[in-house]
Amino acid sequence: MPAKSRHMRFHWSLPGSGVANRRRGADPRNEVNPVADLDGQRDFCRRADELGIDSLLLPIGFQRADGCVLAAAFGLVTKRVNFMPASRAAVISPTHFVQQINTVSAFTNGRVEVNVVSGQGSAELRYYGDFSTHDERYQRTDEFWTICHALWRREFPVDFAGEFISVEGARVNQAFVSPDRHRPYIYIGGSSEQAQQLAIKHADCQLRLIEPPEEFAPKLEPALAGGIEVGVTCNLVVMPTHEEAVDHVYRLAENAGEAGKAAVADWRRMTSESVGFESIYRMAEDRSPWLTPYLFCGLVPYMGPQSISLVGSPDEIVDAIFEYRRIGVTQFMFQGRPDFPMLEMFGSAVLPKIREREAAEPLVATGDLVHEGR
Amino acid sequence: MNGTSRPARFMWSLSSVGERLRRSRTLASVSGVPDIAGHVDFCRQAEACGIESLLMAFGFTRPDPVAYAAALGRHTEKIKFLVAVRSGILSPTYFVQQINTLSVLTSGRVSINIVAGRVPDELRYYGDFLPHDERYERTDEFWSVCHALWRGDGPVDFAGRHYRVESARLNTPFVSDVDGPSPVHGRPEIYLGGNSDQAIALAIRHADCLLTFPDVPDRLAQRIRPVLDSGTDVGLLVSLFCRPTRAEAIDAAHELIASAGEQARQLHGAMRARTDSVGYTATYDMASRESDWATRYLWTGAVPYLGPPGIALVGSPDDIVEALAEYQAIGVNQFLFMGHPDLEQMTFFGAEVLPMVRARERAGVR
Repeated sequence: MPAKSRHMRFHWSLPGSGVANRRRGADPRNEVNPVADLDGQRDFCRRADELGIDSLLLPIGFQRADGCVLAAAFGLVTKRVNFMPASRAAVISPTHFVQQINTVSAFTNGRVEVNVVSGQGSAELRYYGDFSTHDERYQRTDEFWTICHALWRREFPVDFAGEFISVEGARVNQAFVSPDRHRPYIYIGGSSEQAQQLAIKHADCQLRLIEPPEEFAPKLEPALAGGIEVGVTCNLVVMPTHEEAVDHVYRLAENAGEAGKAAVADWRRMTSESVGFESIYRMAEDRSPWLTPYLFCGLVPYMGPQSISLVGSPDEIVDAIFEYRRIGVTQFMFQGRPDFPMLEMFGSAVLPKIREREAAEPLVATGDLVHEGR
Repeated sequence: MNGTSRPARFMWSLSSVGERLRRSRTLASVSGVPDIAGHVDFCRQAEACGIESLLMAFGFTRPDPVAYAAALGRHTEKIKFLVAVRSGILSPTYFVQQINTLSVLTSGRVSINIVAGRVPDELRYYGDFLPHDERYERTDEFWSVCHALWRGDGPVDFAGRHYRVESARLNTPFVSDVDGPSPVHGRPEIYLGGNSDQAIALAIRHADCLLTFPDVPDRLAQRIRPVLDSGTDVGLLVSLFCRPTRAEAIDAAHELIASAGEQARQLHGAMRARTDSVGYTATYDMASRESDWATRYLWTGAVPYLGPPGIALVGSPDDIVEALAEYQAIGVNQFLFMGHPDLEQMTFFGAEVLPMVRARERAGVR
């Protein structure tokens, strides 16, 4: 199995609804003010920086502030953490996008990565003027990233004539600035077959919603065989003891209540094209909420697919993470409810143990970063 | 007349700060990597000099102005960022989202400069293949969508030839600089750079101020009359050579073109052939048709070397105050300067010219 990261990498998704919000995902998206606690988000970034989090995801969508602009601002108040704005191909010219990312790289010394997403569903994409179908979106994304890679390789002038995007003679003078890379590290989120193919072609890591390890392992094979990493996205509930962690998830569900269920039902209608989201909803409907002793899907009806949770004490979470490592998962994208205390607990009580155990059980690093030449 | 009752507002171009021979080299040779510390110093000096905002231009040779303004905004307190934008390279909804985010981060210190792009070759770098006239139509649609989003009176539906959005909404608000000089709230103040009839019509429809190259006051007055009559401001985009004496200012101007040299002249000969901008062509023509001195203070001698933005006001502080007053008298109330070199020229302007302009305004002399 190709294991290109000697160390697992741990990321956090920055909450637009507030770093102290325990109802993340349980409120109607229309009512979220993503900048109401901007100072709290800045403090969260600084703390993640201190605790050794690798990257902070800045999601994209109508309910969010813009990730590229936030990356520029938060990048200046941090030292080592990366920022990972999410990107949609239909909202910006690829040349302009590369110029923006390269600009952010110039004053963060390369601390910018990109998370490629296909959007929250057709209705929301039309807010942005994107009227394409699910399949057309993948083709557009493919064209977009073909152009971006050529610009990052600085194969000027770049000419490309696609079905959706064409450029002629393109160049961007501002280079990607980094001590060791010519372009940002790229994640592609999604669980569909098309997302997987796109990730193998253009990205360094496919990000997927978490599933129980045994059924998850075969689904990861194509990406791993394609030479890219796999990361999982989930909610993290880590408390000093197992009982406290379990108690916490049940209180989260109770607190979200019927209002949460209604918000999730709306959200589900809006995002019905997402293959990954649908499979998590069905899992939550059809199965016992405890998919494994540490993987809990009982929050999903109250807070959405991304609230599928790893639950346990610090030692249990370490064990769970190493179970995923065993099947080839090398990156983790967490969110918390609330985010700030979970980040604190993970950074102080879990991460040091992971690093210790990694040193004791090293992965054999085989092969180089095959995609660096891309 | 429009401009006589209001104090003049002053802006400076940040885009070529640190490049003494701006616009005299081939664009592909410019590194694009900004001198960040130098620009932060320049922003702070602009704040100290009484400059209201700094223009951040758009183009393949430059850092992205929106991302860059977010960074510079963290190091500054008062200065506003006049961010250039072209329609056709991003979704209007996404653009408003970026600008609103920037407004939150800078407490509203952002305004917009709408540009059409002036070289079709370069527009194609960005995937924009539209001809000149259709660009204006698309720009009109783009700004119709943006204004509707900023008005915030419900989900936005728009179906145009170039843009279509359905039920668009954004949760990130525009934060206004309530203590600042901008007369508009709930959206950024909007400038539009251009000289063609289409540009003027667009400015009247969507902008708060038309930014244009200077001409002799009589001719300019005619051209801008419909703009002023519509209640839209007019601003001049102009280079400044101001030195303690008129002789020194003229020397500085000539010295600059001497050091720019023959290569720069050839470069702009080529640029002139490629542009489809009405304003650029008109200013190149003016420079080659008439004497270098269009008036006692308006000098076109640098245009063949630096391009149309090289059109300059030249003189002593008294001369420049006089020149500004002439333009104020025909209703121009905003000025966007470029200096050669910028930092020294802006500092000199802030110390020697601006106090006289303000004294004159206070005394009601025009």
